[in-house]
Amino acid sequence: MTTDWQSSPVATDYAVDELMITTLAGLFKNGDQACNGMASFIPVSAFMLARLTHAPDLVWLASAAGLDPRPDRVPASTLEAPLWRDSVMYIEQYGDFWNLALNGRWIQKFCVGAAQLDRYGNANNSVIGDDYDRPQVRLPGTAGLADMGSIGKQLYFWNPNHSPRSLVEKVDFISAAGYLDGGDARERLGLEGGPEVVITNLAVMDFHPVSKQMRLQSVHPGVTVATVQKATGFELLMPEGSVPETAPPTEAQVRLIREVIDPDNMRKRGFRGG
Amino acid sequence: MQEKIATLSEAIELVGDGQVVALQNMATQAAPMALVRELIRQQKRDLALIVLVGGMAVDWLAAAGVIDRLIGAAVSMEQFGLCRQYRYAVEAGRIKVEELSESVLNARLGAGARNLPFLPTRGAIGTDLIARNPDNLKMLDDPFGGHPVLACRALVPDVALVHAHRADRYGNVQYEPTILWPDIGIMPMAAKRVIVTAEEIVDTEILRRNPDRTRLPGFIVDAVVEVPYGAHPTSFFPNYTYDSGFHREWAEAARDRATATAFIDRYVRTPSSQQEYVDAVGDVSELSTIQTAEHSG
Repeated sequence: MTTDWQSSPVATDYAVDELMITTLAGLFKNGDQACNGMASFIPVSAFMLARLTHAPDLVWLASAAGLDPRPDRVPASTLEAPLWRDSVMYIEQYGDFWNLALNGRWIQKFCVGAAQLDRYGNANNSVIGDDYDRPQVRLPGTAGLADMGSIGKQLYFWNPNHSPRSLVEKVDFISAAGYLDGGDARERLGLEGGPEVVITNLAVMDFHPVSKQMRLQSVHPGVTVATVQKATGFELLMPEGSVPETAPPTEAQVRLIREVIDPDNMRKRGFRGG
Repeated sequence: MQEKIATLSEAIELVGDGQVVALQNMATQAAPMALVRELIRQQKRDLALIVLVGGMAVDWLAAAGVIDRLIGAAVSMEQFGLCRQYRYAVEAGRIKVEELSESVLNARLGAGARNLPFLPTRGAIGTDLIARNPDNLKMLDDPFGGHPVLACRALVPDVALVHAHRADRYGNVQYEPTILWPDIGIMPMAAKRVIVTAEEIVDTEILRRNPDRTRLPGFIVDAVVEVPYGAHPTSFFPNYTYDSGFHREWAEAARDRATATAFIDRYVRTPSSQQEYVDAVGDVSELSTIQTAEHSG
């Protein structure tokens, strides 16, 4: 545990993956429960950072299975044994994990990567194209995401490639329910929770409390609003007043990410040129 | 107790063309790959495959033309990429996908195991998975007055294929302390038949020392085969890790039908035993460093 993270000056030397990690980490509070799925280097780095700084008691279920693990660093897979190192408990999946996840009292926040995300936060990891049985691209599939979208979780999306291909007017297939067609559509189905935040390589978005349309919350330092809008496949709502800049990481956070959490740069995977 | 010892060939002869086969697998983890190879060698056809998260096994079965349906939550080799041969087969319409969320798959198998017509879940409500699957998923009013739930129709696999750390000759199956994915927790209980490969067949006395580690009772198991490195190239914690080089080699071969076929000929169709397979792969012993690497601190 480092103690200088609070007093550390704002970093000038940092990469956007590090900014996304610190932004995501800031959303997890002490005592929250977090879990991760496969290829989830940004969330895993964020959980590890939170546990080393402001949220030492953040409960982490590595790969949704290994309770309170002590991985030596971010490994090449977020769904393999090195991530569960020194776990306190192996949580059996069929019964125990889903009893905990579906219950609603625990694991309230869930991080999601999605191939397509639309203006209402509906996510697609299933198929690209109109014909489900003969898709243009068969994506991996929804895995547990379709569950997490419907059982009261707060969904935090991360997207390393903000583009009109990944942020689309309407998803080709709803693999996970966002706000559906907006307004009170979720409530009418009895669904609680839903998308909260979208963190990309350009900006941070949230959702308007009434219309449930995606809204720009902040742009990353050096990125203009016009750039973000141009890279988005639909018109973003704007916040009241001027658009703030996303808070950059501190020097101590960057040092922790680079030297302690992820010295092998796994977090860069999935980024263009990463 | 009845003896269940079989060869790979005898075990897979229990699988008929067109059947529904549940396969233990989690991306790059814990797939009964020796059984998968035997499905290909015996040229099974028109199988439906149930996976939670399928990996290379799905890609091989797709490339070899063994499966025409997939029922599952995801297919991916994670760091080694999408399963291309599977993906191409789906895009060409040769494999039909029944995509389910994890809680829906668990509910379908759970209903199958408990002889119920369905089990409900709250997962997947609001998604397009439901409209795509009217035969198996229906919204249902809560008879007690709450919000509607999703009824998930019972799914009974004809056979479940699993790999384990050890078993005795009566088919009692033990796992070392490890992550237990739902496919171990529910697939064998739902299936009509269960085929197990184990890293080692041991005397029942060994199992009696740790009965809490016995996960499948012998009476539900139809065949058990001793297959060291039976999950290779997937990982089998704590015995061995995944084979990165082999995954990369396949991911490259899978870009093209001819190279995929050549790969499968070399590693699947040509070796006539597990030993010949291991010899074809090369030195696998270094994969076993997982235990010291993960536990030494």
